Amino acid sequence: MSAIVVGGGVNGLVAATYLARAGRKVVLLEAKDALGGACATTTFATGFKGPTIAHALTALDPRVVAELKLARRGLKFAVRDMPTVALRADGKHLVIGRDVRATARGIAAHSRADAEAWPRFRRELFDLARAMRPFWWDEPKRGWNLPPTIATLRRQNLAAWLDSRFESDAVKAAVACDASGLSPLVPGSPLLLVWRGCQEMCGLQSAAAIPLGGPGALVDALTAAAKVASVELRTGAHVADILVKDGAATGVVLESGEEIVAKRVLASLSHSQLLATKAGRSALGIGESTALERSVPAVASAKVLLALNAAPNFGGSPSRGRFLLADKIETFVTAHAASRAGCMPEELALEVVVPTAADPALAPMGQHVVSIRIAPLPRHLAGGWDAAKAPLAAKAIAALERCAPGLARHVTAAQVLTPDDIAKRYGEEDEVTVERVMSDWPSRILTPIKGLFLCGAASEPVGAVSGRAGRIAAAHALREAAK
Amino acid sequence: MKKPVVRATPFHARAAAANLENTWVTRNGITLASSYADANDEALAARLRVVIADISWRWRVMLEGPRVVEFLAKLVTRDVSKLAPGASLKALWLADGGGVRGAGVFARYGRESFLLAASAPDPDWIAEAAAPYDVKLRDMNEEGGLAIVGPTAQATLQAAQLPVDLEPLAFRKLSWRGIEVTLSRFGEHGGFEIWCAPDDGVLVWDRIARAGESFGLEPAGVAAMDMLDLEAGIARPERDYEPARDGTASGPSPVALGLESLIDVEHQVFSGRAAYLASREKEPKRLAGIEIDSDTPAPFTPLLLKGRVVGHTLRSVWSPALRRAIALAQIDVSCFAPGTKLTLTLPPSLAVPELRTASACVTALPFLKVPDSIAP
Repeated sequence: MSAIVVGGGVNGLVAATYLARAGRKVVLLEAKDALGGACATTTFATGFKGPTIAHALTALDPRVVAELKLARRGLKFAVRDMPTVALRADGKHLVIGRDVRATARGIAAHSRADAEAWPRFRRELFDLARAMRPFWWDEPKRGWNLPPTIATLRRQNLAAWLDSRFESDAVKAAVACDASGLSPLVPGSPLLLVWRGCQEMCGLQSAAAIPLGGPGALVDALTAAAKVASVELRTGAHVADILVKDGAATGVVLESGEEIVAKRVLASLSHSQLLATKAGRSALGIGESTALERSVPAVASAKVLLALNAAPNFGGSPSRGRFLLADKIETFVTAHAASRAGCMPEELALEVVVPTAADPALAPMGQHVVSIRIAPLPRHLAGGWDAAKAPLAAKAIAALERCAPGLARHVTAAQVLTPDDIAKRYGEEDEVTVERVMSDWPSRILTPIKGLFLCGAASEPVGAVSGRAGRIAAAHALREAAK
Repeated sequence: MKKPVVRATPFHARAAAANLENTWVTRNGITLASSYADANDEALAARLRVVIADISWRWRVMLEGPRVVEFLAKLVTRDVSKLAPGASLKALWLADGGGVRGAGVFARYGRESFLLAASAPDPDWIAEAAAPYDVKLRDMNEEGGLAIVGPTAQATLQAAQLPVDLEPLAFRKLSWRGIEVTLSRFGEHGGFEIWCAPDDGVLVWDRIARAGESFGLEPAGVAAMDMLDLEAGIARPERDYEPARDGTASGPSPVALGLESLIDVEHQVFSGRAAYLASREKEPKRLAGIEIDSDTPAPFTPLLLKGRVVGHTLRSVWSPALRRAIALAQIDVSCFAPGTKLTLTLPPSLAVPELRTASACVTALPFLKVPDSIAP
């Protein structure tokens, strides 16, 4: 075996396929029975299917789509570009779409000044974001320098940055939603917004798209691509440890005791998961290990899927939108502060998608699925997440009910995944920090163990379904093999 | 862990009585006699007769747990796993970037316990590193420690009915006429150390002092013991160099401090190994001795060769044994050969406020060799 890929998530599949396409003999080991990891479509009630975690793709690398010919392997999009709809309690919902003029007209209902500022802001953000592509999409070529504005943004916080451009809470909160991984008061938080603007879906900058059949369809296309490239796919293969000799990876050992030998191991592990392995513990320095142990994420997200027996009505807004529920930018500030303290935020910030609006096959005729992402939430809640599961869902539904009256009556089934559930299923994530966003790819992919590469979502600047970490990790592994 | 209160040692009553000039220093939060009468005389006594020195200030911590060997493999620059109980080794611990965090003796007390004795404390780093291995740290600084150093140290011990058959770096727990003590040979000056419970401090001091009476035993203060360190060519943390305090620090380099012999590159897993291997060839400085052509010590002063700065001195003292000022120095590899003539500027003083230059000669370390020393 020339390479082993541990973990069959999107990045694992991408890495394995790239290696196999370069003529390497590759085995992919997935502990669970299904491939795809957190990118999956689940049947959560009889006849109802919904996205397990990610409900919209925003960061999938277009080069992965093209090079692995995913369109030919069945990846189709139900929605290519979802407009963002900021739901307001007063019913003056704000639609932010690709059409700058139409968006500005909508903003004018909240503030004339903001309507004027919008085209300028969008151009500024998109230009800056495009300038960052060499850094976030790939390893920048020699001689490429960070744009000077980025150095300024590292010191500025999102709240101040937006305050200097907009006056209405509606616009500021809607924009801040895309950077909710960090508190808007943290210096450098605007960089998350720039990172989001740097992404491209279906040829459109900063778009959010939904694959036909849910996120699972992307995994199916990637699996097909892996099979064509003759990757050996093994599910139910739980890796117990990485084998290391003289500071270099020599293979892995499965929980069954089986040893697989390979010179290169690509693992979809976060740094904290690497530290939990015996090999990682012995390879990482004491300073690095203790720093990792200290940086346990305090903030996480939850996911709620609702089955509805009628179409939800968001006050006449287009139902194919990405609905945001956050009153003002302070909602994120207080939610982050509460989460860090281990308390349930008083006001939840929600991102809601109705997958069935564009893809009716996901639910029985005339019925709908509502997918809700709640973030930020405490990773460790005082009193534990088990007891808070039902209250969390009730709180989210109640918040939604205010903007979509009657919705609660139509809920027939629900699935709630708390931050605890998500961590148990998919492993503990690394903390989102400005340092991580601004670190270069080798520092996130390479490990102190020679021949061991990290290729999972934790190696991305911001955790997302993108496939980029897998693509770049594979390139590193191939480059090392060529030496 | 932090104790803001300055503590006295178990020997304080005797030290206070012997301290004729009432000069005290604080080291690691402990009050110690700087000198009892004259530091130079005390340093000479350690060369010619025998002295006792209070070394209770040394940071001592017991590391205990079933996985202590695994932990120390990660922490320490040499392999402690082959040590038998009763044996010990001298080693470093490094930051991830290869900077020296500390140097000390790791003594195996039992299957699952090691004692670390070092001259500068680093409790936070070691406690945090030990936690994932369930290794517990037990503070041993309540105990008193007395070093017995000098040519007649062995005779003094014999007169005190203590065993003297210990090899350098060995230690032994024993019952000494009714009190429990630990006798060790961890020191760099060829002597012995005796460790006792706090309440037995005065008794131990008196017994040793009486046994050494006929050999001219006298107490030596911290200043005299530091002179011995310098004459032995040992760079000490927090006196000669600032130890690495950042987890990723790449300095101070073990190569530039002459501590390379305390690193076993065959030992695979210790923290900082990769960075050390990557940087050791590139390190431009080496540790050397400097004999200054003057009676005035010149600590932390640039050293010049034909007007170009080629290094700097570390601690510097007037050595009573060599009868001249000496210094440890970090010098470029190119001018590091013994016999190289350099110049330095002496520090201005009340008597001579003008800046004076003096010539200085590079010397191989140590300045003075002592039999049975464990110095690198």
